[in-house]
Amino acid sequence: MQPWLNQALTWSNALVLFLWVVVFLFIVLGFVTYAIYFERKVIGWMQLRIGPNRVGPLGLLQTVADIFKLLIKEDTIPRKADRVLFIIAPALAYIPAFSVLAVIPYTQKLYFADLNVGLLYYVALSGISTLAIVLGGWASNNKYALLGGMRSAAQMISYEVPLVISVVGVILLSGSLNLRDIVAAQDGGWFWDWNFLPQIIGFVIFIIAAISELNRTPFDLPEAESELVAGYHVEYSGFRFAFFMLSEYVYVYAIAALTTVLFLGGWHAPAPFLDFVPGIVWFLLKFAFIVFFLFWIRATMPRIRVDQLMGLGWKVLLPISLLNVFLTALYLELFIKN
Amino acid sequence: MFNIDFTGEFAAFFVFSAIMICGAVLMISLEKVVHMVISMAAVFLGLAGMFVLLEAEFVAFVQVLIYAGAVSILMIFGIMMTKHQAAEREPAKPLHETLAAVGALSLFGVLFYAIRITTFPEAGNFNPGEDNTMAIGELLYTGYVIPFELLSVLLTVAFIGAIVLAKKEADE
Repeated sequence: MQPWLNQALTWSNALVLFLWVVVFLFIVLGFVTYAIYFERKVIGWMQLRIGPNRVGPLGLLQTVADIFKLLIKEDTIPRKADRVLFIIAPALAYIPAFSVLAVIPYTQKLYFADLNVGLLYYVALSGISTLAIVLGGWASNNKYALLGGMRSAAQMISYEVPLVISVVGVILLSGSLNLRDIVAAQDGGWFWDWNFLPQIIGFVIFIIAAISELNRTPFDLPEAESELVAGYHVEYSGFRFAFFMLSEYVYVYAIAALTTVLFLGGWHAPAPFLDFVPGIVWFLLKFAFIVFFLFWIRATMPRIRVDQLMGLGWKVLLPISLLNVFLTALYLELFIKN
Repeated sequence: MFNIDFTGEFAAFFVFSAIMICGAVLMISLEKVVHMVISMAAVFLGLAGMFVLLEAEFVAFVQVLIYAGAVSILMIFGIMMTKHQAAEREPAKPLHETLAAVGALSLFGVLFYAIRITTFPEAGNFNPGEDNTMAIGELLYTGYVIPFELLSVLLTVAFIGAIVLAKKEADE
């Protein structure tokens, strides 16, 4: 990508870049389609069921059929809803979800933006999605939607804080906010040079906070099917609802890729003698493992209560993540600097 | 009169200015408070875009994180508790509005004239630096360490104060 990114912007260049974005959009949509299928299959197997198996060979077209159903469904807007915000909110949720993917580096050569504050960019833009969720809940003019929106926002804000602080350790170790430099700093040849072992506390906090940010079990309180109506998107139907769901799954992609980059060494092979395998394969393997891990957790864990959720975020994760920053700084000061 | 090359940067500047000006105008003219906050968030995002154009990425994304994200959500949280209906319109005051329009136009005229007749000194070659995040960090912890620490203390005091106030109300 480098030669394209550093050229002067002409019309033909802009067209090439635009086409890349379109290709990437379709890759992400394909990922979302099959992530949903995979999730249903995996959870089905774990619960001794078969999972979707009717539409297409092995049920492969199930998600396609579901999405098609959503798209042709009647699009309702409640009469008393705030019309403009009701329409804007799903788009406002999706745009940041897709834009954060720009800074993820896949291999040494394949990346879409070489931003020197990549990590900050990710954190900043993903905050905008919270705004969209609150707005969607408020604009519906429905008390359940409003409550769901408030719950989501409270949860996302509480867990964003430990999420950000837990990666400060990684930033300290690699001395950069650029995601490419962070991967480059994990280049030791062996898998114990990746950040997840030196930063084990940060890694665990990051995973917990990330699951909560994604609103997935055990933290799926905003849309707990068995106890709530639905959450902030009660009033949404058809393709607007699909947009909210889509941005949720795009964030699964984003968090899985970010975990790979920050803690699992990105495109590096786990051992020097495995270097002949191309980097993109390693990236995809680690990425797929994280995605599987998220589904696995979902099939395994019960849902926690809302007061436990807030208590865990503020009283446990936040102090430990601060301690992690302190310990990392101390370690760097005592052993590395001299 | 306008000796400007049409580059990508110029186009981006135009887009961001349009976003900011539209946001600011809507912020004043819309009637529901939540809509106002959204247009304000648009201004913040446009401003972040401007910072990116000035090669100050760190400031730009901190702007998005703090203002467009945190501050806007905080305001919406507060506003959501208020009633949904738009505020009633105040009765129009023709004289007042005419005078305000004349004042605003003449201010614009003065500013525009002043900007047009000023000859700006030739700017030196701007060097945005290799890594402005690093540069900001180094400055904060060397030259500006005392103001920085004072600010941290101030924020901590405000933080603890807020907790104390909330605690007092919760106990009653």
